[in-house]
Amino acid sequence: MLNKKKILYIDDEKINVQLFQINFSRNFEVFIGCSGKDGLLLLDNNLDIEVVVSDMKMPEMNGLEFIELAKEKYPDKRYYMLTGFDITDEIQDALNNNLILKCLKKPFNLNEIEKILNE
Amino acid sequence: MKSLKFEYKLSLLYLLLGGLWIVFSDKVVNSISNDIDFLTEIQMYKGWFYVIVTTILFFLFTRNHLTKLRDTESELEHHKNHLEQMIHEKTIDLASKNEELFRKNEIINQKNSELQNTLIRLQDTQSHLLQSEKMASLGVLTAGVAHELNNPLNYIMGAYVGLHRHYEDKTFSEHDEQVGILIDALKVGVERSVSIVDGLNQFTRNSNSYNEDCKLHDIINNSINILQNQLSDNIIIDKQYADYDLIIKGNVGNLHQVFVNILNNSIQAISNSGTITIKTSPDDDHVCIEITDTGEGIEAENLAKVADPFFTTKEPGKGTGLGLAITYNIIKKHNGTLEFQSEYGKGTSTKITLPI
Repeated sequence: MLNKKKILYIDDEKINVQLFQINFSRNFEVFIGCSGKDGLLLLDNNLDIEVVVSDMKMPEMNGLEFIELAKEKYPDKRYYMLTGFDITDEIQDALNNNLILKCLKKPFNLNEIEKILNE
Repeated sequence: MKSLKFEYKLSLLYLLLGGLWIVFSDKVVNSISNDIDFLTEIQMYKGWFYVIVTTILFFLFTRNHLTKLRDTESELEHHKNHLEQMIHEKTIDLASKNEELFRKNEIINQKNSELQNTLIRLQDTQSHLLQSEKMASLGVLTAGVAHELNNPLNYIMGAYVGLHRHYEDKTFSEHDEQVGILIDALKVGVERSVSIVDGLNQFTRNSNSYNEDCKLHDIINNSINILQNQLSDNIIIDKQYADYDLIIKGNVGNLHQVFVNILNNSIQAISNSGTITIKTSPDDDHVCIEITDTGEGIEAENLAKVADPFFTTKEPGKGTGLGLAITYNIIKKHNGTLEFQSEYGKGTSTKITLPI
């Protein structure tokens, strides 16, 4: 139990973070936050988080802006995007620059995500 | 003498001649002889002479007079004939003119009915255009709305995954709280999906009635939902709605189009971050909706042209140039008014009034 991989999920919609936590807690230790600010704070307090997954559309700071700041501070973690929308130019750039490793689609596919998180 | 009529002239002449003859002839005869028998005889010749002379004179006078009369009469007859001829000609002329007028009238009637048909076709085309524009803007929006559906679908999928696991592991009772959250997520997911689809339906519905109950706040909120995908996170929507529902009679689908068009313009006018303020206020006999953005504004020379068909300053593919023209038409059909105020570089304010 103690060696569960730690992951962080950021989404401004409460239901999404709740569902993520419920569904992924079985195999991972899930930290959740509702904004980029939450995320940065959680990363600072939990240095052993290995994987970060973030929603794209959020007020104040969108997913990419959050990941950019997080990666600056913690370049060795793996970052993923989870969005209901198409891959925009912005996201494509982030993929090209390896800022994010993959852009995952909502509605989420549990098996696919678990596999990716376990890589 | 000139003014005397013929019968007076004739009688006077007769009287004068007779008188003079009687007076002077007797004097002459008396101076020649005193013989009674001779005088008696001469009297008879005198009488005959007088009768013959006056008869000749009478004949000449009458003939002269009657000739003049006959001339006048024949001239009159001639004039009369001429007049009849003229009237006949004029009548024929008039008849042909009449016929021509009739023909022209027929042509005008025909043209009129052609115009009527053209007008009907034009109205038909206009309504098609209205629908096409709606569909065109819908095309732009569909992608966004379709993706918008992914969010509630994500709830449903998440809830399904969680519930399915508990079902397989038979752990429902151990995780009361979790199961509650999952079931709630399912419900919210379905509700949101329904409201998104409903919003699209309202926008695309093609009713011609202008007598539907239009809840303005619902329509504006729905229009914002349709545009959710276009709304970047840096645009704040500030709703300053009146305290109670504003309900007017109108066309629900078309009013959606109005607000989607105006809000979409505001969104596109804001390049980085900004605010769109929507203020609704009721008045005695109308409602006023003011949509103000802090976007790039409209240049003064373009302000009067924004509602012209096909006028656009947007990049190709971003706008048809028909949005505000159609918006204007829809507002006009609702007997409302549409006004724009804008300061280049500062933003635009659109004011709509609609009668209650």
